Amino acid sequence: MIVPLEHILILAGLLFFLGMGGLLAWRANLIMMLVCIEVMLNAVMLVFVGGSARWGNADGQLFAIFIMALTSSEVSLALAMVVYLHRRKRTVDTDVFSEMKG
Amino acid sequence: MKLYLALILLLPLLGGLFNALLGRMLPRRLGEAIACGVIWGAFVCAVLVLLQFTGPTKIEYGSWLAAFDLQAPIAIYLDQLSLGLTLMITFVCGLIHLYSVGYMREEPDFARYFALLNIFVFAMLVLVLAGNLPLLYLGWEGVGFCSYALIGFWYREEKNATAGRKAFIVTRVGDTAFGIAIVWMFQISGSVSITQLNAMGSLIPAGIVTALGILLLIGAAGKSAQLPLSVWLPDAMAGPTPVSAQIHAATMVTAGVYLLARMFPLIGGSEAVRAAIALTGGVTAFYAAASACRQRDLKRILAYSTISQIGYMVLGVGVGALTAATFHLLTHAFFKALLFLAAGCVITALHHQQDIFRMGGLKERLPAVYWPFLAGALCLAGFPLTGGFFSKDAILGAVFERGGPLYAGLFALGLLTALLTAFYTFRMLLVVFHGEENLPHPHPDPPREGEGIHSALPSVMTVTLWPLALLGLLGGILNLPSYLGVHGLLDGFLGDMPGLMRPEPLSHGTEMILQLVAATVSLAGLGLARSRYAGSRRAAVLAAEEAGSKLSDFLLNGWRLDDLYRLLFIRPFERIARLCWKGVDEAGIDGALDGLARLTARLGRLPAAWSSGRVATSLFGLAGGVCVLLAYVAWLITG
Repeated sequence: MIVPLEHILILAGLLFFLGMGGLLAWRANLIMMLVCIEVMLNAVMLVFVGGSARWGNADGQLFAIFIMALTSSEVSLALAMVVYLHRRKRTVDTDVFSEMKG
Repeated sequence: MKLYLALILLLPLLGGLFNALLGRMLPRRLGEAIACGVIWGAFVCAVLVLLQFTGPTKIEYGSWLAAFDLQAPIAIYLDQLSLGLTLMITFVCGLIHLYSVGYMREEPDFARYFALLNIFVFAMLVLVLAGNLPLLYLGWEGVGFCSYALIGFWYREEKNATAGRKAFIVTRVGDTAFGIAIVWMFQISGSVSITQLNAMGSLIPAGIVTALGILLLIGAAGKSAQLPLSVWLPDAMAGPTPVSAQIHAATMVTAGVYLLARMFPLIGGSEAVRAAIALTGGVTAFYAAASACRQRDLKRILAYSTISQIGYMVLGVGVGALTAATFHLLTHAFFKALLFLAAGCVITALHHQQDIFRMGGLKERLPAVYWPFLAGALCLAGFPLTGGFFSKDAILGAVFERGGPLYAGLFALGLLTALLTAFYTFRMLLVVFHGEENLPHPHPDPPREGEGIHSALPSVMTVTLWPLALLGLLGGILNLPSYLGVHGLLDGFLGDMPGLMRPEPLSHGTEMILQLVAATVSLAGLGLARSRYAGSRRAAVLAAEEAGSKLSDFLLNGWRLDDLYRLLFIRPFERIARLCWKGVDEAGIDGALDGLARLTARLGRLPAAWSSGRVATSLFGLAGGVCVLLAYVAWLITG
């Protein structure tokens, strides 16, 4: 393997925390938050794929495919909910949706 | 006899229960008839018992308290003393019940009134007839409770309810001492029977007898309003007037005298106790007589005179003259009940005016009240040949007979008290019934609506005065002095009571001289009152008294005894109570709890801030958690 596992892990970590930082910072837009979640999931997939290549085991790649399927369905659902939420309050700012306050 | 004695006790109890449970549902006449009927029934039974009476008897009806050594059955001990008192109580209370029918004719709550009055008679008879001390104590507390409930009968007025509480609390001080004495006697002798205790008098160490005697004296002082526990009786006049007559003049307040006389064979063995009893009585008699001289409320004058006359009785017990004390107790019951009932008539006729300075000239308007009142006043003042004269003189004679500096002093004090008694009695009589109508000018305000005299007193109120007046005036026949060549009835009757210590009879010469002195003193008091309150000086004297002075204020307030107690007991008590309430309870306990609650509420608000419902908060929490978890894993790996 040309790329060492450490590099992949560093890249994945960077991607993960970038996604997380974006998730926390971009609260004003629900769609951007979903994008950030995708970035984080991609980081996880990268770790799976990297691990699979490092140990020569196909399980990791299998998981990556699973995650892809999962994210696509998740995004389709989430976007539908975004549309629904936007219809209710004419905004996609998450701070406005605080009905769950205890 | 057993049946009659049981009926004496049960009839008033049943009457009371009947009125308490059913009285309100039945017509008024029926309730009144039953209330009066049971008392007269008890009187008839008492007369029947008297006819069958041969000597002291003990009758046991059943067991009441029985545990190990303590045996306190429901037992009656009937001797001359208790029989005499039973007759007096049922007769006087019967008359007062009849009078109440007239006095309370406009009172809607008659059922409660008659129920309490009947139960009072029951408790009083239990007290008098009890064969052991716990049963006596039961009656003792029973009369105390009825007294409390009847003083505050019109409890809607704060003043009356307070007077009731005051009476209850002050007498409770004495009752506590009495209760301690009972327990102590049982602890020493293993018995609570009155006869057994009295028989054991010589076996108990002298010091303990003295202590027991003092405890009983405190108990008696509470009930009989002797110094220093006398403060409740003047305030007790807040109750209806028949109640004052029945409870606070004729019967209950003499219970202390009865107790001391009953236990005299035991406690009389101690010279110190006898001196203490005599001293209490003598000083109280003087204190109350002096206070009565400046009272202006008709009923308070009578209240103070009651304290004073009971002081005489206690003095009589103190010198061992039980016959004389009982004699005075009986005549006093008659003439004091009479005076109170007559005062009730006056007060009713004047629409609840009690201030004697706003009365005057009632002699013509209320002749049916005036003559009995005069008879009562003559007895109270110890006017020669009335019942009060003989009984008071018998006590003074016994005190004189004792000799010694203490008793000589008490004799002089007693004579001075007799002078004051005659003075204030005729002051009351002259101010109320003589002179011009609605005297004093210092009250320029016009008579209020409906004020004035309404002479239509119910005849039942005035008729009941006559038997009492006759008994008061002729009470002397009960116990005529022996120099008249007759043997005193009461002397003979009480004489063969077991355990009675008989003082040496006075020589006839001394007795005659003493009675002459007493008569002179009484007449001097009458003359003094007459010179002040009748004739030309009347208006000036009344105006001067109305204005008041330092001395008269002092006497008007009963020697400021109330203020003394306020200073000594009530104020420190209130201060301690406030400390406990404000300091300990509110600031300490409540404060700590409130603080704890506030602290936990504030702590709870900290995490509550996290559940703001905003997505961002959850996200930050998630991110923070991840960071912490990662840091922990990193620490595990590196560590």
